[in-house]
Amino acid sequence: MKAKATRRIRQVTQIASFGLFMALFVQAVYLGQSPLASDLFYRFDPLIAATAMFAGRAIKAGLLYSLVTIAASILFGRVWCGWVCPFGSVLEWLTPKYARNEITDKWRVVKFLLFFILIFAAVLGNQSGAFLDPISLLTRTMTTVLWPGLRFLVYGLEGFLYRFDFLWPALDAVNTNVLLPLFQGIESVFIASLPVFIFFAIVIALNRIAERFWCRYLCPLGGFLGLVSRFAVVRREVTKDCISCDRCSKVCPTGTIDAAKGYASDPAECTVCYDCMAECPVNAIAFDRHFPLWKSAQSQEYDPHRRQVILAAAGTLGGVALAGIEPIRRRDPVRLIRPPGATLTNFTTVCMRCGECVRVCPTQGLQPSLIEGGWQNLFTPRLVPRIGYCSYNCDACIRTCPTGAIPHISKEAKQKTPIGLASINTDRCLPWAYDTLCSVCEEMCPLPEKAITLEEVKISAKDGQPMTIFRPRVLRDLCIGCGVCEYHCPVGGEAAIQVQTLPSTNTFISGV
Amino acid sequence: MSDENELNRRDFLIKAGLIGAGVYLAGCAKQSAMPLPTPFSDVIPVTPQTTGALDVKPAETIEPATGTAYLSVARGEDAAEITRRAIAAIGGMERFVKNGANVIIKPNICTDYYTYEFAATTNPVVVGTLVSLVMAAGAARVRVMDNPFGGTAQSAYKRSGIEDAVKDAGGEMEVMNQNKFRKAEIPDGLDIREWSFYKDILDADVVINVPIAKNHGTTRLTLGAKNLMGTILNRGQIHANIHQRIADLVSRVKPALTVVDAVRILMNNGPTGGNLDDVKLLNTVIACADIVAADSYGATLFGFKGSDIGYIKAAADMGLGTLDLSSIKIEEISV
Repeated sequence: MKAKATRRIRQVTQIASFGLFMALFVQAVYLGQSPLASDLFYRFDPLIAATAMFAGRAIKAGLLYSLVTIAASILFGRVWCGWVCPFGSVLEWLTPKYARNEITDKWRVVKFLLFFILIFAAVLGNQSGAFLDPISLLTRTMTTVLWPGLRFLVYGLEGFLYRFDFLWPALDAVNTNVLLPLFQGIESVFIASLPVFIFFAIVIALNRIAERFWCRYLCPLGGFLGLVSRFAVVRREVTKDCISCDRCSKVCPTGTIDAAKGYASDPAECTVCYDCMAECPVNAIAFDRHFPLWKSAQSQEYDPHRRQVILAAAGTLGGVALAGIEPIRRRDPVRLIRPPGATLTNFTTVCMRCGECVRVCPTQGLQPSLIEGGWQNLFTPRLVPRIGYCSYNCDACIRTCPTGAIPHISKEAKQKTPIGLASINTDRCLPWAYDTLCSVCEEMCPLPEKAITLEEVKISAKDGQPMTIFRPRVLRDLCIGCGVCEYHCPVGGEAAIQVQTLPSTNTFISGV
Repeated sequence: MSDENELNRRDFLIKAGLIGAGVYLAGCAKQSAMPLPTPFSDVIPVTPQTTGALDVKPAETIEPATGTAYLSVARGEDAAEITRRAIAAIGGMERFVKNGANVIIKPNICTDYYTYEFAATTNPVVVGTLVSLVMAAGAARVRVMDNPFGGTAQSAYKRSGIEDAVKDAGGEMEVMNQNKFRKAEIPDGLDIREWSFYKDILDADVVINVPIAKNHGTTRLTLGAKNLMGTILNRGQIHANIHQRIADLVSRVKPALTVVDAVRILMNNGPTGGNLDDVKLLNTVIACADIVAADSYGATLFGFKGSDIGYIKAAADMGLGTLDLSSIKIEEISV
């Protein structure tokens, strides 16, 4: 009875945790109007903390909340995985009833090795694999696939219903009170949606092979917490009352209860879900303090061997070497515009690919990159001004970045820090190439002293009459590269004005 | 397998079919605003089209009541008071707003970049006062809206101070919904004969246009007529023939009342502003039922004549109002 109650509490905790995740996710785009930190889950994520601090070679105070998670794991085992992790909960809820659970235990080592690889790489200053963090995975999928997909369907339906005029009063009420607070009217499009979706779908599909496949075999955070949980104070124990009915091993979501070992389990795998205890007909299972303290759990055949760890280190070196021979090391791609202030930090080393900046960007101009910055920078954010500009009065990404890859500069500093430089293509620009009146770029420019100037030119029009037109020019010393000009440029397809990376950051020009 | 299972499959197919049909219908829905501009070659819709046009009655022409001014200019430090006096001088809000009317006020909230002191967005006190006057005149509903081009509507409404002022006065802010723009004919248009307008604005009983007078790169000034660009989609394409096209928009929207906020005017780096050195404190509000006359007076604040500004002249040429300020009765009030 007590076990069933505890299991119920665990289930409620999971729902509450996922609800909190979604609430933070939804309010993240409210641009600081809410006191809640949208990156709360990241702050409690020790994998993010460890890799960010190793790679950034600095203690990041904001990430020290993760010590709470470590402490909880030392006390109770992988409670994060079983009780808190919203991605773990999603996987639990999406487990088919007919999961086969027949995969060999050996594969459990993969998550430990992935964890070692991420740490080794971080020590070497590479964060290419950081996108495998479970919070990051769920945030990215929610940001670029699930939420915008839902929005598309909802607004599509709304658009259809708006065809019927008599429905407008009702639709207006729904739009104002429900849809606008949820979606903020942002029409989201993401270049990376399909690959992100496929990755997510594969992780979900793996649930058919084994329940919580990701958590058992792959999750590097699970690996980290598993290693810590080997020293857990409170552990699952089976008493002599056990009648070997096998029910516990059947319900165990991580499949760690081994009939051959007297229904014992590995604290590195157990998520403390209480399912086994609730199912036990004779109360032969207990989660008890384990004495003597600090004694490591019994080693398992799938624990990482020394040789495997050495191999992981060697593999990491190989991966880092591969990253080192990508062209990105020599030159910045001309359209790889990073979030504001990123030119001030060693951005790709500190960026965790967590996608929180992408989520909060109110214009949705920040996009998780694919291979625009090389394979090693997969899912790092970049500004695509044709999709959305860097809004002059917004510093949402600056305030939300959990690792400081986007440095925490003031809004005034942000408004003066160039992220790129606009450049006009005079072969496409209407006043330049078509002798047509247009000044949209100049009009949009948000700077107190406009970075686009209009030059008055007298020309003769097609009918021979004299005519005055205004040709825009970019003032290089004023432009901050926000891209609002490119976004609004009325020329179809590629804009006639485009933001490119700053010339000064180009190692080729600076002669390095 | 039992019959039960087959029925389940059938159920599934029926449900899937219904959902599929729903999705298909949703896919047929009118596309919302383009995320990216269309090619330039598509810019000029020369042939008037009648499909999807709205059946909207033309705005009533309002004859100035006897004894009242055609145009009023109020000056003074209290923005609320000069707004009230300017409206009173042209016959009071009751002249425009009947009991139970559905009113939309269209200020200029172009971006969320700066607060109203920078004179890029309409003064919130002027807007709030107008909302109070409209409510007092017995309007059933007062909505205030604009379609900012920089930052989100929500943040621009807040930052401009207009949201708070409107809510305090008992009005509503509406975030303009992409689904509520409809193609509408412009029967009197000379260049454009059809455009996508915000349907509620065309349908409203009374539209009150509340521009702020400020500098603008191509058109020199943005005033009442230019402010109507916030009522349409595809603004970028207006620029190709901006003066005539703005005049064409005026011929369709026909606001009942134009109140030019010249409490602060922006002399340079418009329309977005950002530099207090470019701002001039005039403490002036202009009110007139005739948008051309209002704009024409507004132009004089910058040392121009109405005929110097292309779209004002184009609107006058179309017979949409009076350009010649010497021919109308102007009441100047100092508070």
